[in-house]
Amino acid sequence: MSSHEATKSLKKTAAKKALAPKAGADGDPTPAQKAAFAKAMYEGVKPGIKTARKIAQEKSDKAKSDAEKPVQKVEILRKIAAPATPVETPDTKRALQLAADIEKATQDGDFERFQPEAQQALIGALCRLYSANNDMGNHFGAVGQRSAVTATDVMVLCGALLKAVDLQVFELGLWQSWSSR
Amino acid sequence: MAEQFVCKSSEFKNGERQIIRIGEEEIGVFKHEDEYFAYSNFCLHQGGPACEGLTIARVEEHLRADKTSMGLSFSEKDMNFVCPWHGYEYDMRTGAHVADPKVRLRKYDIVKKGDDIYVVA
Ligand code: FES
Repeated sequence: MSSHEATKSLKKTAAKKALAPKAGADGDPTPAQKAAFAKAMYEGVKPGIKTARKIAQEKSDKAKSDAEKPVQKVEILRKIAAPATPVETPDTKRALQLAADIEKATQDGDFERFQPEAQQALIGALCRLYSANNDMGNHFGAVGQRSAVTATDVMVLCGALLKAVDLQVFELGLWQSWSSR
Repeated sequence: MAEQFVCKSSEFKNGERQIIRIGEEEIGVFKHEDEYFAYSNFCLHQGGPACEGLTIARVEEHLRADKTSMGLSFSEKDMNFVCPWHGYEYDMRTGAHVADPKVRLRKYDIVKKGDDIYVVA
């Protein structure tokens, strides 16, 4: 047999071995294979063997890729400022205190604590102050957020204010539409 | 769930809000009277930006001893926030809808570490 033929036959045998059924005739593992499997399961992966090295490598690769993963970032979409708080000038403080006292008197049903002249003076002064601010371009709501003024309260006072200066509602409407307010 | 740094508490004023995104989630972070609250920014009504509307004190009715009303007024301590789309109103402390407490916005825990504020999401 030439050396070429010898190599050929060796290759054939190796291929036959590789293709040989590893399980029993019906496809089930042989008792020897079963025993080997059970033994392997019992012993686990022995350190130093090829499988152990492969597992260790996989673990370290995973740890590396986890470390490289971008940390979920907090993205600030919007910042919403706190509602404006009144600038604490001494006069503002006094006015706020007076408003709180009036509110308290109303809640307590003590409607005579502030005599009509005092109420008229306050309403008149505030009316002029609000209007002057408005003309200056300082636009703000007539009633702040923390107030429990009802729609009826507003209608009563608006009606009384119009009557005080001898205006009709339609005149108010006309003025609003002409001046686009 | 992990703690996500939001900001320094010294940079977050009372009454302020921050709308943040963490992954897929949009969250509203509130600071109210030195306490922090965080809720999902998706309104339970129709998905509006629940945390971006008005903050408004709860309306309370005070009664006299004989149960006659002294009228409505705003609470000194309880705060609500209102979805700007159709007005669903939620309790700042719990995220519960004021009319139906079974309806609640998803709440996120807040962790304070020194001056740092974290949202758990
Ligand atoms: S979507 Fe918020 S109230 Fe309708």
